[in-house]
Amino acid sequence: MVEYSEARLSRTFAALADPTRRAILARLKQGSLTVGEIAEPFAISLNAVSKHLKLLERAQLLRREVRGREHYCSLDAAPIGVAEQWANGYREFWETRLDALDQLVTARRKARGDKGAR
Amino acid sequence: MSSPPLRIVRVLSAPPEEIFDAWLDAASLAVWMAPGDVERSTVEVDPRVGGRFRIVMKAPRGDHEHTGEYLVLERPRRLVFTWTSEATHGRSTTVSIELRPHGKGETELTLVHEGLPAETAEDHRSGWGDILRKQDAHVGERRGR
Repeated sequence: MVEYSEARLSRTFAALADPTRRAILARLKQGSLTVGEIAEPFAISLNAVSKHLKLLERAQLLRREVRGREHYCSLDAAPIGVAEQWANGYREFWETRLDALDQLVTARRKARGDKGAR
Repeated sequence: MSSPPLRIVRVLSAPPEEIFDAWLDAASLAVWMAPGDVERSTVEVDPRVGGRFRIVMKAPRGDHEHTGEYLVLERPRRLVFTWTSEATHGRSTTVSIELRPHGKGETELTLVHEGLPAETAEDHRSGWGDILRKQDAHVGERRGR
């Protein structure tokens, strides 16, 4: 099984655990936005939005670029991909285990000379 | 926060009783719970509700320990146990196994692994759907043989 950085995964999951932060990421799928634009649809203070952005930045899910007086934020989905690979790692684990289980029961049935054993 | 449950459906070439027992028998588990570069697994099981199991996969680069507790034992239909390993980051997850008679002496097994910490953003959900479709195709292929 591929090893992933536990600390990085924890930061990704913690960042995605919050619905406001997921909504922010969903908005950023359309392209980069200023902090003010991101805050617009949310009924929370600019300061609260700013805290969410900092957390997303620490989780490397968000990139910030300063152009003139504006901060532009854009989405970096790479850590989500890593998290998904990590989750699929378990799919692969069970798939290959079930292959081995099938081989074992098939071999046993053949050894017993059962009819219908492949 | 948890990921959507991981769900796998497979048809296996033995009746439900035999498959059920292979999940709880230490000698069987030592064989089929030894993936990839694992030379062998040492297995301790206490197959009763509230009983625990411990599977240690001996690999060249170090041992991998998996532990859990049996929550439901309904031979031959249903088996539920907790599952903790380094890959779950020490967190207790839940694995449910449903077994249904299928065809002539075969079993349709449904495995659901819940509580894996991997919530993904909306557009990544399609990835799961895609995988499940491939899984259905795979089962269909096996059925068609």
